[in-house]
Amino acid sequence: MGRQKNEPPPALKSPLETSSQERARAANLGSVAEGRLKLYDPQADNVRKFLDLLGRKINRPLALSFAACVHCGLCAESCHYALARPDDPTMTPAYKADQIRRIFKRHKDWTGRIIPWWVHARYPRDDADLNLLKNIVFGACSACRRCTLNCPMGVDTAALVRFTRGLLTELGIVPEGIFNVNRDQWETGNQMAVTEEDYLETIAWVREELESETGIRGIEIPVDRTDCDFLYVINPREIKFDPRSLSDAARIFHLAGEKWTLPKRGWDMTNYGLFSGDDSLGAYIAENVYQAAAWLRSGRIVISECGHGYRSTRWEGYNWAGRDQTVPTESVVITLVRYLRQGRIKVDSAKNPEPVTFHDSCNIARSGDLVEEPRWVLRRVCADFREMEPHGRENFCCTGGGGLLSTPEYRSLRLEAAKIKAEQLQATGAKLVCTMCHNCVDGLADVIKHYKLNLKVVQILELVSRALASGNVQS
Amino acid sequence: MSPFLRVLENEVQIVALLFLASVYVFRILWILRFEPTRERTRPAGSKREGIAYSLLSISMPWSMEALRKKPGFYVQFLIFHLGVTAAIAATFIIPYRPELFRTKAVVLLFQIIIGAAFVVGLMRLRRRLRNPAVRLISTPDDYFSLILMILYFAAAVLAVPNRFPTAEWTLVLFFGLTAFFLVYVPFSKISHYLYYPFARYVLGKTLGHRGVFPIKEAKEETAFGPPEK
Ligand code: SF4
Ligand code: SF4
Repeated sequence: MGRQKNEPPPALKSPLETSSQERARAANLGSVAEGRLKLYDPQADNVRKFLDLLGRKINRPLALSFAACVHCGLCAESCHYALARPDDPTMTPAYKADQIRRIFKRHKDWTGRIIPWWVHARYPRDDADLNLLKNIVFGACSACRRCTLNCPMGVDTAALVRFTRGLLTELGIVPEGIFNVNRDQWETGNQMAVTEEDYLETIAWVREELESETGIRGIEIPVDRTDCDFLYVINPREIKFDPRSLSDAARIFHLAGEKWTLPKRGWDMTNYGLFSGDDSLGAYIAENVYQAAAWLRSGRIVISECGHGYRSTRWEGYNWAGRDQTVPTESVVITLVRYLRQGRIKVDSAKNPEPVTFHDSCNIARSGDLVEEPRWVLRRVCADFREMEPHGRENFCCTGGGGLLSTPEYRSLRLEAAKIKAEQLQATGAKLVCTMCHNCVDGLADVIKHYKLNLKVVQILELVSRALASGNVQS
Repeated sequence: MSPFLRVLENEVQIVALLFLASVYVFRILWILRFEPTRERTRPAGSKREGIAYSLLSISMPWSMEALRKKPGFYVQFLIFHLGVTAAIAATFIIPYRPELFRTKAVVLLFQIIIGAAFVVGLMRLRRRLRNPAVRLISTPDDYFSLILMILYFAAAVLAVPNRFPTAEWTLVLFFGLTAFFLVYVPFSKISHYLYYPFARYVLGKTLGHRGVFPIKEAKEETAFGPPEK
């Protein structure tokens, strides 16, 4: 039997999985006991709680995005889900946003309160409705903000999606994978639950490997050094799965004669508060980084290559934490631009002869400020750099954004939507796709594997490190 | 002109307009009741430029990929809103500057603009009914507002010659619909134009501050390289 009209794809029928929540309750974790990590309570009046939260947390930009949509349907042209499933009207951004917009209208809007059927205003009936909402906002949107930039009315659908995620997270109605990472960040201060011992051991190991690999004596990866030019904050993936990234950074910093340090605490710049919509988690993690910089009296904060980490630490984190930014906070790509401009490192583009294309992370290009900078670096370190189309602010999501890589239940739908990205990648004819985001590395690798593309994912630090000319000596 | 039409063209319109204005004041107060957000980061761009860009983006269809892909959509948008402007202008011209519509060319110009908007209205209705994605998100209010607009354009085409001695019913229909509109608009999706400047302003402010707006092309670098951060 074919799919019923307007019926959501099977991935969006996932039930609420709470076994991790049960374990967290049984273990009486500190974050649970202190009420920071919220658990699902089937006995509670969750619909009422949801409405109360909505009324309390909504702000002016969100209210305007709720009110301003004219249902023109133009946003369907910009969403990779809608483009990859042209026969499925439930994938248009406006439809997804309408699932929360109808609650807003019923709860807050005049017409929706008086004649709800006239504007399709409706309250959720029960927890099953809230679970369906969870599947839509966590499973059918990577919060890439492509539709936002293509809405003539200025409706920020991605912001509405994040807002809804935040309300559901407060009720524990959240995909299990997202819950697990939230828990780890609350409990350990980093999203992969890396212990301090593992962290320090890995750093020592990376340093030794780097020294023996390059033959450069005296390379350091300092931890908790005070009064440095900058504090370097990283993605836990660099400790757990991909130490090459940290190693490349350490090598480049050493050759540039940089005075830098990692912190012992507050080193994770990733932030699941962005994905889960939990501003208090967002504030807690970002604040760890800011406090580390203050305590170590660092001149600036440098963020390694990570899209959502950059957005969270450079932009949203200060707002979540209610802290005015006093320390310059930049992406490591800006640091690389500075080194190249000042001649502190020398590069030879012939060392990267393969055709390279660049994938813009949504969180950096559409919610941040860096589009030209990574290209400026790549043109210096690669012999054959080529754009993919569209690119920059208009690039398509790697499909792993918005925490979707932590939600296996939505993987089939995500990879179906990835058809758009796969076609985009293939058309470049490149052999390497470079990105300045660890999350995009995994998202793109999944797309490449699924669509059997002949491509490898690399990052900017890796290409710069490879391009380092032999004339580099520590300055 | 019958006394009924005279009252409908004047007093009724003024009362309806006052009603619209007062409901709008409440709408604006309603928006302002929601907490504004405060930006605490150092800028990478200019709020002012972002706001200007955001507000003007509707006059730069090339700035949105979706409109580049569907230029016809933009042309329809222009015609439809020109028609709205012309019809609204007619509601003031007929009672206060009727001599303007004694010039045949002016009447014809208005009829062409409003007639084209009428056709676009029908095309939009067809799209709303036939495109599954648009149909799914359409509410009774969306259909009613659009049908009302189509009727209004039709009435305006008939009314602009201002032939009250021979065809007063066209004017009664036009001004009757206008009065109904003025009362209905603040409760319908047609009030989107009230939200438009606010929504675009807040988006432009945030994205301007971050250097996302005005949208920059990822382009070949200049001799100066990327902007200083
Ligand atoms: S979100 Fe914007 S583009 Fe999409 S239907 Fe609403 S007004 Fe149109
Ligand atoms: S934010 Fe991205 S994924 Fe989500 S609805 Fe908009 S275009 Fe689609």
